[in-house]
Amino acid sequence: MGAFVARIGRAELACIVLSVLAFSVPFLTHDRLFYSISNQIMIAVIAAFSVFIMLRMNLISFAVPAFMAIGGYAAAIAARNGLTDVFALMAIAFAFPALVALPLGALVLRLRGVYFVLVTYILSEILQLFLFETPGLTGGSNGIAGIPAATFFGISLGRYEYVLLTTAGILLLATVITAATTRYYGQQFSAIEENEVLAQSLGLVVWRYKVIGFVIAGGVAGLGGYALVTMLLTAHPSSFSSFSGVSYITYAIVGGRTSILGPVVGSTILVWASNLFSSQAQYSQGLFGVLIVFVIFAAKGGIVGTAEYWLKRWLRKRSDPGAGDDLAPVGRSKDAA
Amino acid sequence: MTAVAEDRFPRADWELRIENISKNFGGLQLFRDLSFVLDAGNIMGVIGPNGAGKTTLINVICGQLPLSSGKIYLGKRDVTGLPPHTLSRLGLVRSFQQTNTFKLATVRENLMRAMRFAGSGPDTWNLIDDLLDAYELKARLDEVSDSLPYGLQKMLGLLLAYVTKPKVLLLDEPAAGLEQRERGNVDRLVMHAQENIGCSILIIEHDMELIRRLCPHIIVLDAGNVLAAGAPDEVLSTRSVIDAYVGRSDDDD
Repeated sequence: MGAFVARIGRAELACIVLSVLAFSVPFLTHDRLFYSISNQIMIAVIAAFSVFIMLRMNLISFAVPAFMAIGGYAAAIAARNGLTDVFALMAIAFAFPALVALPLGALVLRLRGVYFVLVTYILSEILQLFLFETPGLTGGSNGIAGIPAATFFGISLGRYEYVLLTTAGILLLATVITAATTRYYGQQFSAIEENEVLAQSLGLVVWRYKVIGFVIAGGVAGLGGYALVTMLLTAHPSSFSSFSGVSYITYAIVGGRTSILGPVVGSTILVWASNLFSSQAQYSQGLFGVLIVFVIFAAKGGIVGTAEYWLKRWLRKRSDPGAGDDLAPVGRSKDAA
Repeated sequence: MTAVAEDRFPRADWELRIENISKNFGGLQLFRDLSFVLDAGNIMGVIGPNGAGKTTLINVICGQLPLSSGKIYLGKRDVTGLPPHTLSRLGLVRSFQQTNTFKLATVRENLMRAMRFAGSGPDTWNLIDDLLDAYELKARLDEVSDSLPYGLQKMLGLLLAYVTKPKVLLLDEPAAGLEQRERGNVDRLVMHAQENIGCSILIIEHDMELIRRLCPHIIVLDAGNVLAAGAPDEVLSTRSVIDAYVGRSDDDD
């Protein structure tokens, strides 16, 4: 059991367990507000996972809303054309943005960090324009409404409880993909994050791993887009504004970029808080900006990284009362290696 | 030294040949029509005053900076313009002047990454076993590399290049920042590499004693040109070299 946990990673396993627990939401309550917030949180977690994969290589991607849109619209168009099997739709929502990300990544990931950030932002803007200007395919400013409910072995998933279960299923898939990717390529991603020049000079084809990450992150975002379309019952350009990319980045960074638990914790707290203060929602982007600045200056590891730091310190102090002050600052989570 | 080694190692493409290379940054010319050959299995020192273009030379050889003109050959193969990871896989590997490790990774993870990225295989641990002992790194394999003292970080950086089992190893000021008593560690690594993998080694260094100890052949760069070349004692006593370089900075060492 211990070896099994060590192989998967403690944080990764915790995320998978949390995703499985998400299936219980419709059975816990019938409160519509709770449903809505849970659904939003799950979608935010998926989107933040997409950010997290790229952050693992020190790359900030604003392209998440663009890939969400590609996944969401692809699934919506497929459903409108009679394909309603939920698994097929998930596959489409993952594959389409991943396929778009492949040539794009191969091109833009040769750019240095800051240019990559710019290009991903522009990509989201271009996609907005595309969605508005192609009414034949995407419904233009009306979006795609009247999407038939997905089916699970023939059972319609139209009821809100089932929509939640669908989102939980998508979340589980996104979690497994993200955990597997960041774990399997852990050494390569960390090497790129810590010292790209050295990694390359030792023979690592840095560019290839960045493209792999970008493609998978695109697919994961696409899954989030499909979940969003399922929740809203419509695919509309406004759901995928380039500005929402800032929120997803905030969730990942504030939650903590050093562990896969970061995006989960960050999304949960911030989406919940945004709903709590929804009467002042217009200030949320500004607040998120302040939060990012605070985290970058005061708590680089975000919520999870900082908690981990204090927990380790406390554990060490308990086992050896004299020690604990010389502990290295928050770094990468070292789950039972 | 090399004659013995030549019998033991297949060195068909272990020679580094630099032919008429030039490097400009805009209007600034770092070097022009520079040529030299590092023979297979040999050790060569490159010295020169600050700004002579020594580190830039390594950067262009390793593909980190593009050449303005000229050719670079590894054995018979033209490797001009290839990216760093390809050159590294072909056996042309460098170390860095500043301590260069994966800071958040442990010593063990650092070495494992280097072996993995270079594809040199886990048996490489046997190759460096006695070096890890000598550097007292063996007891610190699970320490995060950033927490090591500077001298050890520097040696770990050199080991990372070494465990890729290079054919040609380029060392960029391996002794810079080391205390006098730590400098023997660099000698140890170079001798170890010569004895165990027989690679060709190019050393850029300001420490003249180290150069004298390790390099049977040196070249002196000044303003991007080869000012002199030959055995260290001979080269370091020529008038032009003393004028350009040694006379000014030997006292600093």
